[in-house]
Amino acid sequence: MMAADILTGVLVLLGVAGFFAGSVGLLRFPDTHSRLHALTKADNLGLGLIAFGLAFQAEGVADILKLALIWGLAILAAGTAAQLVARSALEERAPAEEDAP
Amino acid sequence: MREGLRTSWIAARRAALLGLLWFALVGPDAEALLPGLLAVGAATWLSLRLLPPISALRAWRILVMLPPFLWRSIVGGVDVARRAFHPRLPLKPGWVEAPSHLGGGGRAVLGGGFSLMPGTLVAGTRRGHLLVHCLDTSQPVLRAVADDEAALTRAIPPAEAPPR
Repeated sequence: MMAADILTGVLVLLGVAGFFAGSVGLLRFPDTHSRLHALTKADNLGLGLIAFGLAFQAEGVADILKLALIWGLAILAAGTAAQLVARSALEERAPAEEDAP
Repeated sequence: MREGLRTSWIAARRAALLGLLWFALVGPDAEALLPGLLAVGAATWLSLRLLPPISALRAWRILVMLPPFLWRSIVGGVDVARRAFHPRLPLKPGWVEAPSHLGGGGRAVLGGGFSLMPGTLVAGTRRGHLLVHCLDTSQPVLRAVADDEAALTRAIPPAEAPPR
């Protein structure tokens, strides 16, 4: 067992823990917007850690760039989608919700 | 004439970035050189059509923002995970309105960044303010937004602030 394999194992497990925490948050958090938090963060951190861990198994620079690309495109989509869902959830509930700005 | 020079400079930078993308997807393959050149050329042309080259983005300023973003993501992620697993679910969700003077594109980047950062989520803007939903409103969110806005303003020169 090489040091790279151990690093991969630890980082991928941490990434899985991130996705697990995100799923628990999605189920437990009290309202729509709090739940939305849980979704995007799993993409950012969980996928980031998994991609970082797998980078230690890459055979060349192109593979590492590919992993970085997967992560980059995923968080680009997640960040944009989260804003859009958050905005439409806010607009839908705004009349009934006093504490919303 | 200076205008044309700047346009070619921006086009060259975009082509280099897209070339790197092709290399990432295909790897070092001599046979892929011709289709790669064609694809990079077409993609550069398309990118110039979709996002006119008004002024050059200071890319290294964006790169400088990356390490703090990653660090805060990890710290925030641990914090939010702790709250998610905590039996009493210690949350104080609420809204914070952060003033923002960025143009449409910069604001979308700022909002996307804070939506990815654990603990904050952006739901668009209202009256020049970014609507930030926080899992814990006692965190110093206003200062974080102001700091990142300042950093983004340095990365995107004012001339590039896209028209509304």
